[in-house]
Amino acid sequence: MRRLFDILLLFKEYLLFVCCILISIILLSSNDSDQIRTIRSLTVATVGFLQDTFGFIPNYFDLKEENKILRERNVMLADEVSRLREGKLENIRLRELLELKERTPYKYVSANVVAKNLQLLRNTITLDVGEDDGVKANMPILTDAGLVGKVIATSSRYAVGQILLNNDFRASAKVQRGRVDGIVLWQGGEHLLLKNVAKTLDVQPGDLVMTSEYSSIFPPGIKIGVVSKTGQAPGALFQTVEITPTVDFSRLEEVFVVTYFPDTSRIAVQQRIPK
Amino acid sequence: MRRTAEYILLSLFLILLQTSVVNFLSIATIVPDLLIVWIVYIAIRQGQFVGTIAGFVIGLLLDLISGKDGMLGLAAMAKTVCGFTAGYFYNENKTVQTLGGYRFILAIAIASLLHNVIYFLIFLQGSEIQWWGALLWHGVPTTVYTTVFGLLPMFAFARKYLS
Repeated sequence: MRRLFDILLLFKEYLLFVCCILISIILLSSNDSDQIRTIRSLTVATVGFLQDTFGFIPNYFDLKEENKILRERNVMLADEVSRLREGKLENIRLRELLELKERTPYKYVSANVVAKNLQLLRNTITLDVGEDDGVKANMPILTDAGLVGKVIATSSRYAVGQILLNNDFRASAKVQRGRVDGIVLWQGGEHLLLKNVAKTLDVQPGDLVMTSEYSSIFPPGIKIGVVSKTGQAPGALFQTVEITPTVDFSRLEEVFVVTYFPDTSRIAVQQRIPK
Repeated sequence: MRRTAEYILLSLFLILLQTSVVNFLSIATIVPDLLIVWIVYIAIRQGQFVGTIAGFVIGLLLDLISGKDGMLGLAAMAKTVCGFTAGYFYNENKTVQTLGGYRFILAIAIASLLHNVIYFLIFLQGSEIQWWGALLWHGVPTTVYTTVFGLLPMFAFARKYLS
């Protein structure tokens, strides 16, 4: 403080001169004569010219503030873009589901997957529809990509679905090209297996596997997967057929529960035959 | 304190003189500026700080008294520059020599010229009169006349203290 005072004292003549000139300028600017108006307009023009000429030199403090505003806007826009992208993807998925709904004769209940597990041996998904929506046990669950699984438990507002990637899951299936029947099941990993396919039957990689009309739970003709590999173990009666599911379970978000009721009279007559 | 009072009274007297009687000394509208001589005198006597204050106060009083052309602050600014400039001729140990010699006249000439440059530069804004023309035909003669007027106190000082 003392040092500052000494500096001020050292330059007191200059400070006084500047103060006096400033007071004079203030007094002059308070006038409203022609001369002052001209000087004002000249000053404005000069300042404008200088700002225009030296505008390319960035002002550090303005830049800092501008940077802060831009960062905030960037976060807002990124958030908006993310939500829009999400909306777009949802739109695409829903359109595909709607297309599926329109081309098949069954009644569908649309549902969101609110929980799922894919790491266990008995993997399931939880849907936000239940008995109040007409969903019952054993109803098939599918998407536009194909079969997802079936409902195994329901409450008034929720349902639990057993997906293809579940040790207990079984479905009668048919290879579309060769009309070869088999049972689809899962024994771990990313692929399904088509069991009970005799070695002599024609199954090739790339063949489409669908639900068959023998199933008492699933309507026929729903895609299950594509044959990815076939093999014949020595001494075995059946060949091994590996299927890649058409549904990507890791991205499963919206599904349909098909309110499909199998023909009970057919089941009844089948059960009368002793096995 | 007494000296300050003397300066104030003499300043008021000279302002009155400048705005009344001095006009009779005009040569083709050229009037000497006694106040510049007085401000330069104060600056050389008391230093740049006092000279600047004297210039500002005298100019402001002149603005207030004359009230001409709605240019309050113009004389204050011009005469502040006078006092400040004349302050550069201040030498505490050679005050009498300065006042009684050519340096006093030089100080008046420079201060007066700067005064007129500033005055005409602002006063003639917006008019069709070129400021450098006015400076040449009015400002420079005024400077010369004021400087000649400054010879009177210079000679008086030289005669009283240096002879």
